Amino acid sequence: MRNGWKLGLASLGLFVLLAPMNVSAQENWTLDQGKAVTSLSLSADGSKLAVGSYDAHAYVFDQEGKKIADIEAKNVVTGVSVIGNEKLLVSSDDRRLYAYDLNGNPLWELNLKKRVEGVSASTDGSIAAVTVQNSPDLLLIDTASGKVKGKTELGFRVEDAAVAPNGKFIAVGGKDQNAYLMDGQGNLLYKIGIDGTISSIAVTGEGEIVVGLTTPRLIVLNAKGEVVRTVDVLDSVKDVDVTADGRTIGAADYSGNFYLISDKGKVLWKTQVNAPATQLAFDSEAGNLYGGTENGQIHHYSVESVVKGAESAARKALYVNASIAAGLLIALAVLLLVLKKYDRLSVFRRIWKAKWIYLSLFPAFFLLIGFLYVPAFSGLYHSLYDWNPGGRSTYVGLANFRRMLEDEYVTKGIANLGILIVTGLIKAIVPPFIVAELIYHLKSKRLQYYFRTAFVASMVIPIVAMLLIWQNLYDPNVGLINHFLDAIGLGSLSHAWLGDPKTALWSVLFIGFPFVGILQLLVLYSGLLGISEELVEAAKMDGAKFRRIVWSIHLPLLSGQFKFLIILTLIGVIQDFNAILIVTGGGPMDSTYVPALQMYYAATKFDQLGYASALGVSMFFVILLITVINMKFLRSSRD
Amino acid sequence: MAMTTSKPSGGAMFSRASFRQLILILCLALLVVLTLVPILFMFYSSLKSNSQILGSFWSLPSPPQWENYAEAFSSIWRYVVNTILYSAGASTTVVCLSAVSGYLFAKKEFPGKEFLFILLLAMMMVPAVLTLIPAYVWYEKLGLTNTPLAIIIAHAAGGQIFGTFLCRTSMEGVPSSLFEAARIDGAKEWTVFARIVLPLSVPILATIFIMQAVGTYNDYVWPLLTIRDSSMQMVGVGLTQFTKQFGITDKGVQFAAYTISSLPLILVFSFGMKYYIQGMAQGALKM
Repeated sequence: MRNGWKLGLASLGLFVLLAPMNVSAQENWTLDQGKAVTSLSLSADGSKLAVGSYDAHAYVFDQEGKKIADIEAKNVVTGVSVIGNEKLLVSSDDRRLYAYDLNGNPLWELNLKKRVEGVSASTDGSIAAVTVQNSPDLLLIDTASGKVKGKTELGFRVEDAAVAPNGKFIAVGGKDQNAYLMDGQGNLLYKIGIDGTISSIAVTGEGEIVVGLTTPRLIVLNAKGEVVRTVDVLDSVKDVDVTADGRTIGAADYSGNFYLISDKGKVLWKTQVNAPATQLAFDSEAGNLYGGTENGQIHHYSVESVVKGAESAARKALYVNASIAAGLLIALAVLLLVLKKYDRLSVFRRIWKAKWIYLSLFPAFFLLIGFLYVPAFSGLYHSLYDWNPGGRSTYVGLANFRRMLEDEYVTKGIANLGILIVTGLIKAIVPPFIVAELIYHLKSKRLQYYFRTAFVASMVIPIVAMLLIWQNLYDPNVGLINHFLDAIGLGSLSHAWLGDPKTALWSVLFIGFPFVGILQLLVLYSGLLGISEELVEAAKMDGAKFRRIVWSIHLPLLSGQFKFLIILTLIGVIQDFNAILIVTGGGPMDSTYVPALQMYYAATKFDQLGYASALGVSMFFVILLITVINMKFLRSSRD
Repeated sequence: MAMTTSKPSGGAMFSRASFRQLILILCLALLVVLTLVPILFMFYSSLKSNSQILGSFWSLPSPPQWENYAEAFSSIWRYVVNTILYSAGASTTVVCLSAVSGYLFAKKEFPGKEFLFILLLAMMMVPAVLTLIPAYVWYEKLGLTNTPLAIIIAHAAGGQIFGTFLCRTSMEGVPSSLFEAARIDGAKEWTVFARIVLPLSVPILATIFIMQAVGTYNDYVWPLLTIRDSSMQMVGVGLTQFTKQFGITDKGVQFAAYTISSLPLILVFSFGMKYYIQGMAQGALKM
């Protein structure tokens, strides 16, 4: 009892300590024309955000998304870069580089004769790097006067260039799969081949480079050009950013995920928006993160607490592990004391003696625990989380379960499931029972055997093939069912059975007609064989007719078999979505959805693993309830 | 027949009874035909071309398009072979694990025996629907997805539970005196297991093997989730992706592929139907 109490305390502590931290207050807004965000840049104090867009505008917003300035270019804005807290550089496909103040007043413009592909400047404005179309050069601009100050020949076209906030380093990602690092004057420090196509690049004040690839991967290089680490994300990287001190890395991917990654390569935080992400930017402390998407949305996240919280979480985790270990040690000590007190220490000798037995059982229990218990508990646990394997999972309490109640596909699915259960029970009981009775009443044993085998023979077709055949039977043009209706003169009834929401569910139900399930048939048939002949003979002596024998002897004596089949059907129908997944995929519209199918889709199509787990857990509890009721029920009926 | 002529009344009785039997046989025959209609339709259509199916739906395939089978075979043989290998791997593992665990639980005493057995049985109550998605994430994390191990391990872990259960029940029926005699003669534990327990358990092990093989062969959702490479895919998924994968729109070829996919099961059932039925019956009794 005492150790149980200790363990309980330990696990309570675990829950308290793992309670979620405040993750993010977020705002978002959308650009007027809803065109892609091509670049983002924050002012040094983080109060203003410059946005370049495909709609040929550059905008300046404050933190809440209030528009401060709206600058019009003559073509797509390809890059924006804020200098300090005053100046903004804008590059555009209209071949010009513009400078504005943050209220939108023009300062100067520079005609570069070619499309300007991007701009990046240091915080103090001492240096700005510009890339132009089809040019193997990197232009350095004097941001005060707007004159070209120098150029660095790279010998290959540039994909992305970034200037460190302190102006000491310039990093360039070439289309030739090389990363270049230069000092503030544009002198090449090193050039290094990258294993993949570079999509974007960022650099810290110490010359550390972060490279985003078109594959789902980031590469971090130090100032000497050595690969420090690689970080895998979920989709092709569209943009990377890094704080001046290099402690925090940000990334945006094509699936609309934004990441904050620590310098140790651990994903601190991750969120997903509903459109491909194109850009992200954060302020010097990574307290505010802005993300832009392909459809012109700007998302603002306050992630300060997360980044700060990550360290304390690591500390907390240490405490938790230590206290669990301590708790276990105490429990073990108490257990040993109790055993000693009751003189039961011999159990260890018996355990030692049986060591070969445990060793032999090890593979079986390794598989059992490693591949069945772990997923089962993982499902129970993560149903309370917004579950992002590989990223950060957020505790959301019962939100997944609440969402289930509001999910129209689930409510529709439950209604469909009701129909499936009722018909499923009828299908599992009535036709097999009739067939079992028919076979049982055959006089010839040989015929009994033949018929039994004939029914079982249908099992040689793989289940998937059988479902696909039925799908073909329903085909409106080449299907057997419509052709049969035509042939018997009921052509007017022919139908796109699976294509019509009104008939789809019933068509799915009808699969397997005439529903002589083999397991059901065998169970009931062997049940009938088990009924003693004398009982039936005696009833016949008393003049009982066939119908009376079935009704008063067979049915009551088969009640155990019926109960078994009912439970089996209930459990089977709730879980099964193979048939629907293959034959209709849940459609047309939502007409054939079931909760299990929605679970599958939540996990595979929408990547909402926490929600999928919650659906799985709910179905598990329903099934558990049925099983428990059944056990009580069966026991009481046996007593 | 002689009786019918000499005793008219008895003859009436007889014919009424046999008339009843005839009705029974006809009913059953009708139900068998209905049950087998999809299979007949499959075979019938597998020998037709698209225009034969569309144009003369009911007529016999003339000329029969045997080349459908050649085309179907070249597209799905890989899936069928993969599936057979996975099934064999999973079933062998299940049989080995079940035989060992079943024997130890049936005939040995050791501390924690009942606890371990309940740990095993409790998993039988946990439906696949709970573990499906978390298991997928877990296998992904372990790097097992997109490898044959994903299929074999999952089926071995799940199948051994019922297998152990069946083995324990069956081996408890083997009289312990048999082992004792061998042990007195100086036989080692392993020898007892290999020379006495295993030979006596062949029927139950065959049952477990066949049930597991058929179960694995029919798997669909798990390989759909975990296997991405077409070259490692299983036959169930392969059949559903047939049109997509090979751009085959010929119905006849598709039906031929369904037919080919049943060949391994036909083979298994023609040798092991008896064991399969026993397994089903045992499972039903023990639940």
